[in-house]
Amino acid sequence: MGLLEKQKTKFIVISLLVPVTLLVAFVVVPGIDLFRLSATDWDGLSRNMKYIGFDNYASMFRDKDLWISLKNNMVYFFVHLLMIPVELAFAVLLTSKLRAAKFYKTMVFMPYIINGVAISYAFSYFFSPINGAFDAILSAVHLEGLIRSWLSDAKIVNYVLSFVSLWRFSGYHVILFMAALQSVPQDIHEAALVDGANAWQRFRYIQIPSIMLMVDFVLFDNIRGALQVFDIPFVMTNGGPGYASSTFTLYTINTAFKFSRFGLAATMAVAIMFMIVLIYFIQNFLIHKVMLREGRR
Amino acid sequence: MKTLNIRRSFWIQLLKQLLCLAMVAIVVAPIALTLFAAFKTKADMVRTSPLRLPPFDRITLENFKAVLSNKYLFVGFRNTIVILVFSLFFNVMFGTVTAYVVERFQFRFKKVVVSLFFLGMLIPTFVTEIARFKIISGLGLYNTLGAPIVIYVASDLMQLYIYRQFISRISVSLDESAILDGCSYFGVFGRIIFPLLAPATATVCIIKSINIINDMYIPYLYMPKNQLRTLTTFLMNFANAQQGSWQKLAAGIIIIMLPTILLYVFFQKYILAGVIAGAVKE
Repeated sequence: MGLLEKQKTKFIVISLLVPVTLLVAFVVVPGIDLFRLSATDWDGLSRNMKYIGFDNYASMFRDKDLWISLKNNMVYFFVHLLMIPVELAFAVLLTSKLRAAKFYKTMVFMPYIINGVAISYAFSYFFSPINGAFDAILSAVHLEGLIRSWLSDAKIVNYVLSFVSLWRFSGYHVILFMAALQSVPQDIHEAALVDGANAWQRFRYIQIPSIMLMVDFVLFDNIRGALQVFDIPFVMTNGGPGYASSTFTLYTINTAFKFSRFGLAATMAVAIMFMIVLIYFIQNFLIHKVMLREGRR
Repeated sequence: MKTLNIRRSFWIQLLKQLLCLAMVAIVVAPIALTLFAAFKTKADMVRTSPLRLPPFDRITLENFKAVLSNKYLFVGFRNTIVILVFSLFFNVMFGTVTAYVVERFQFRFKKVVVSLFFLGMLIPTFVTEIARFKIISGLGLYNTLGAPIVIYVASDLMQLYIYRQFISRISVSLDESAILDGCSYFGVFGRIIFPLLAPATATVCIIKSINIINDMYIPYLYMPKNQLRTLTTFLMNFANAQQGSWQKLAAGIIIIMLPTILLYVFFQKYILAGVIAGAVKE
């Protein structure tokens, strides 16, 4: 038995050695290093860095453009949040009795696997003021009055970009909701039918509770996604005009790799981590303590 | 009463179909309109409506030719393939063995190992590069294909969940009897467990291929050199060079979209299964 134990230990050590080393070196260490860098004035190049305490945190809070960027993230957050009921409805629709359901399921998820850079360029063309397709559609239905410069009007650019984000990511939530809905055993449905529950009651009392876990995940995914919006504005507007469509992550990346202020950027990265955790707890509290308790009254 | 029900269900079905067709239209429109532009000459871009294909006799393939004859497209294709092959190989190797050890064995520091991997999943993606950049350049990996490979292998951990789920469904008695028959632990893993994981491996490979082909950020950040373009960063360079000629860029967009669309069409089942498994486990 001693020999076997020895062999086992050898197997475990050899197996885990490389994966754990890689994980520590390239994920855990940089993740923790962000905290250390956030207390320095490092410029990304020089060997020396000065520890400056919480100076970066102070300048982060004073940075007006960063606050504008964060406000833009809120647009993505709320636009996606408002879409969640629609996504859920579509999941119910696609799992119900429906002809060609398989084809629709394929189509609803397709945007998610399409190259994000390519589709961002395609949408730049779609919303372009010169020969843009969207303006052509509006003209075709005699709504020329609504035509705007979609990507350079500071008031609406974030909504346009959020729409592109919706186009890309909504299907992901629909597919997840569908999986959750289909995991409800068929006999529960049948039992409810026998007991005379109508469609709404079956939805409210069987499907909703069974997909609450997935709803939790989707809400969390929405926070994480909204705070980390990056490639759509990066490709379509590069955050412009000015900082009108900048996002927190885009601003952070530019602070580091464009303006070489890695210390300050690390501070913003730390802030992102905190915000994700904080908003998650607030949202959880609102849903489980406030909303669901009201439901019971 | 019965005919009433049938008539009602007909209208419901019709309403459902209309909703679904609207969804399909929204999904297809930006792709179709890009395709229309890709078939147009420069003159037709102005002359014809963006909502229409050009007249049949004026359809041109020049734009596609211009993209396909760009030598960096093939550089990008080659680099993407190299990155894919190495990343997938190591991801599958490390993913299977890590999931197997964590799922099947009790050992000292197991909690530490598991929580390290859990921590790895919590660290946000984009902004971590601020600290990781230093490590990658310190190792001399900046401007080499090694940078994306190392990062994809080390930091993309979704395969662990897929493999762990799969291994937990394989009976432990299979391992035990093999050990009693004198098989080594490496033998059990290599000859019994690894082949049984083939369906999970297919899922992992396809999902990761799509993520890697579509990734812009890591190659953009770590490989600015022309010779190190990937398909996605090739498109970014190509776009910057085409200021104003939408028809050419449109052809580039369509060509770069194709690989992942094809993967999706052929392997949809694996992709959906993997995406759902990746989410459910969090």
